[in-house]
Amino acid sequence: MSEEENPAAIPAPVQDVQGDGRWMSQHSRFVQECKDAEPDVLFVGDSMVQLMQQYEVWRELFSPLHALNFGIGGDTTCNVLWRLQNGELENIRPRVVVLWVGTNNHEHTAEQVAGGILAIAQLLHSRLPKSKIVVLGLLPRGELPNPLREKNATVNNLLRASLPRLGPVQFLDVGGGFVHSDGTISSRDMFDFLHLTASAYSTIATPLHELLLQLLEETPQERRASLV
Amino acid sequence: MSCSDSNPAATPTPCQDTQGDGRWMSLHNRFVSDSKGKEPDVLFVGDSLVQFMHEFEVWRKLFSPLHALNFGIGGDATQHVLWRLSNGELDHINPKVVVLWVGTNNHGHTAEQISAGIQAIISVINHKLPNAHTVVLSVLPRGRSQNPLRERNAAVNTLLKEALLSVSHASFLDVDCGFVQSDGTIAHQDMYDYLHLTPQAYNRVCQPIHTHIQALLNTHTQN
Ligand SMILES: [Ca+2]
Repeated sequence: MSEEENPAAIPAPVQDVQGDGRWMSQHSRFVQECKDAEPDVLFVGDSMVQLMQQYEVWRELFSPLHALNFGIGGDTTCNVLWRLQNGELENIRPRVVVLWVGTNNHEHTAEQVAGGILAIAQLLHSRLPKSKIVVLGLLPRGELPNPLREKNATVNNLLRASLPRLGPVQFLDVGGGFVHSDGTISSRDMFDFLHLTASAYSTIATPLHELLLQLLEETPQERRASLV
Repeated sequence: MSCSDSNPAATPTPCQDTQGDGRWMSLHNRFVSDSKGKEPDVLFVGDSLVQFMHEFEVWRKLFSPLHALNFGIGGDATQHVLWRLSNGELDHINPKVVVLWVGTNNHGHTAEQISAGIQAIISVINHKLPNAHTVVLSVLPRGRSQNPLRERNAAVNTLLKEALLSVSHASFLDVDCGFVQSDGTIAHQDMYDYLHLTPQAYNRVCQPIHTHIQALLNTHTQN
């Protein structure tokens, strides 16, 4: 599928239907933060990224890595694509970018969502050729089995197959433990059967933090190159 | 508003499962089944501002010790809370205090409609729990800069404050601890997305709520 015919790969700002301009205010703040900060790690995505910053796990594991958090609740691949093309990558050179988006693409098929995520990864790679990219898998959702769980699982399978072809991009699936043997997801893990509780964030943060530490350990050649 | 049928904010309505994962109904069902066998003294009901409170330290510190239950659902408007409370969430419990925080998601509704929707919820609570006192929390300002929703929410508060003066089983509590700064902006350190509260802001907001609840619980014990 070419980007042109994939609606999930078309950059689009969120329309301010509520009338308080919150989405654009957040985007503008992120652009401003780029001018003031020199992050080693950049997190980009939807509420899964955004909420992480409100929990202890962020201060404990990710702040010490000099991480910035550009998560906006409700964002789709289209919205993240637009933000990254409109200032959120200016003035920064993070060594690792963590991308977590796609579960809000309700209008799009699994193939389209995976294509949208791929388009964001390609944009990141072309704008930050020296950065490593981690794409997090979409989590299962809903208390009981439902079509969105199957769709998100299909997105993950497509990403697992296509991402390795794209240079320094890694796929990390942190959603392995959430669906119980009876098919349910517990509110102790996802308080509204979508968003993670503090303890679930701690669980998924461990493998992510380990991967980030590995990726941040650069070779002397890489270090010299990034100083140029 | 004399006729509640003409006010969408006061008409009990379940949330449509447009996304297709049934999460809203799952949460409602969980609240109903959770409430069986529990004997909460305090019940929190409302939207994401109630729901997220439960996920932060402040809940365990201030409200868990009061035997509080949390029936918050993100995105809920007054008509959704009205439906939930009319369909089982109050049928198995007998709390002394109900804390109600809802209204900011009533998009497309006027301040008058929202205020009437909240009063309709108070009526349902009073009908189902005649011995309980309802504390209505003020609808917070929102958006980084001045905008029409701030004015609408402020108008809701003015209407509610006035209306609840004459109601003995309910009271209004203003929980805005100076979120709008002198330059008219709201800081992301208080509302990270200019709507939802950070843990630090919850700490400030929840202290007066806790004090108010405790006073009501003490009065209740004396009666
Ligand atoms: Ca910079």
